[in-house]
Amino acid sequence: MKSENISVIKIRDVLMVTMPADPEDETVSGLQSQTLEAMAQNEVRGLILDLSRVESLDSYFARTVTETARMVTLMGGETIIAGMRPPVAITATQLGLKLGALRTALNVDAALTMVGETKAGKRWQ
Amino acid sequence: MPICVESDIVSARRAVREAATHAGFGTTDVTRLVTAASELARNIYKYAGTGNMIWREIRSGELHGIEIRFVDSGPGIVDLEAAMVAGYSTTDGLGMGLPGAKRLTDEMEVTTAPGKGTSITVRKWLGASGS
Amino acid sequence: MNKSRSIPVMNGKSATVDTPMTAEMFALMLDNVTEYAITMLDVEGHVLTWTPAGERMKGYKPNEIIGKHFSVFYPQEDVDAGKPDRELENTLREGRFEDEGWRVRKDGSKFWANDVITALRDPNGKLKGIARISRDLTARKHSEEQIRRQTQEILEMATVPVVQVWEGILLVPLIGMLDSDRSQQLMERLLERITQTTSTVALLDITGVPAIDTQTARHLVETIKAVRFIGADVVLTGVRPSIAQTLVHLGVDLDGITTRSSLTGGLRVALGMLQLKVVAEHSE
Repeated sequence: MKSENISVIKIRDVLMVTMPADPEDETVSGLQSQTLEAMAQNEVRGLILDLSRVESLDSYFARTVTETARMVTLMGGETIIAGMRPPVAITATQLGLKLGALRTALNVDAALTMVGETKAGKRWQ
Repeated sequence: MPICVESDIVSARRAVREAATHAGFGTTDVTRLVTAASELARNIYKYAGTGNMIWREIRSGELHGIEIRFVDSGPGIVDLEAAMVAGYSTTDGLGMGLPGAKRLTDEMEVTTAPGKGTSITVRKWLGASGS
Repeated sequence: MNKSRSIPVMNGKSATVDTPMTAEMFALMLDNVTEYAITMLDVEGHVLTWTPAGERMKGYKPNEIIGKHFSVFYPQEDVDAGKPDRELENTLREGRFEDEGWRVRKDGSKFWANDVITALRDPNGKLKGIARISRDLTARKHSEEQIRRQTQEILEMATVPVVQVWEGILLVPLIGMLDSDRSQQLMERLLERITQTTSTVALLDITGVPAIDTQTARHLVETIKAVRFIGADVVLTGVRPSIAQTLVHLGVDLDGITTRSSLTGGLRVALGMLQLKVVAEHSE
């Protein structure tokens, strides 16, 4: 099976990545490398990760996301996870995944609005 | 179905999604099973190299459900207790795999011995038979 | 077999099929009854007769099925498990056997059917054949499924009411304890409603929850975590002194979760989160 390549788009001063429904491990790890590459080449405030198509999230996927978010923070940006589906959210909670300092938004629109807010905005610990 | 290359993990997820849906589980339960399968399939790929995933619908009186077995002839789990207690950690390790899968399913059985391979069986039940 | 049909002999007495008139009537009955596929089998289970109803239900034309064993109507796993043979055995032993289950058509598609298999014995008790009457219940099964699902939905709505009190604010007045099942329903229903209404705050009111035990507390925390994953937040309201005490004693970690003792207080917080404020109108 071919792994899909995810595209990193720049919208205003934010990077956006839309994850496919059931990405292979290769695609997931690609998220990290491609995000970092894009951040190095662009002056951006952060990353919006659109998970609205994602059908399941296991610990590998989750770990990659949190690692990527940490790297984005180190590079001076912030990460927002948008559009997680209810079954995925419920499973993630049961699996014991933690949000940490990651912000979440109902959808990409909300996420874009959030990035517009000051950095003193809410964070869920 | 065999699990030997990385893309088999996705195949395992897809197979379980189809089987669980066919068995009549709702979306949230299907997602649980798919996620548990992903964890266990990845464990096989990471620690044993190759293995197999076998699944079937099961019945017990009024209940009916699904049973998925993950078998490999890898190195086996040396300290099963520790593996089950292991919480989410940033370091690599069986980490979330086993305890995660346990939380997402109704029953889990593990048979393993150092050097003798591992067999993990998980089951999830639905309401009355036929529904 | 030529065009004349062998009509099933009913327990001796009434139906004498010696007159052409009666034979014709029986033939008409078999041809016209479409809901029940009446098939006669020989004592080993091979199909002897076939009707239009049988063709409609199972897809076989007469020349395709007469002579074949009736186990072709069963899914492979049933055949492997010996089900058709057992049914035949039971019929011969008890005289009658009834079973409901999945059957297979000629094209491989499955359908849910009810079968009554009867041993046909002449007045001397000699086994002459077997009658098999099938009824396709797939439609009924579908509507049963639908009713079950709808009932479940209604029950869920009743036990976990989610009310929209403002644009972006939902209210869940919880009544009673939260066991695993209810907690499941709560999470699924609440999250679904949040995405449907794109609400950013859910007021989880526990005024109607008589007592908090570890399980209920754990489920509440789990629900709140799940809500946060999808991009909304929860304000726990109705936390009265006794509940507050229990939560502290249980050592429940409500860190980062906003709580209020009254629903009003919670609503105020929710409005604040949406940067809304209630202002009194002054009549001049």
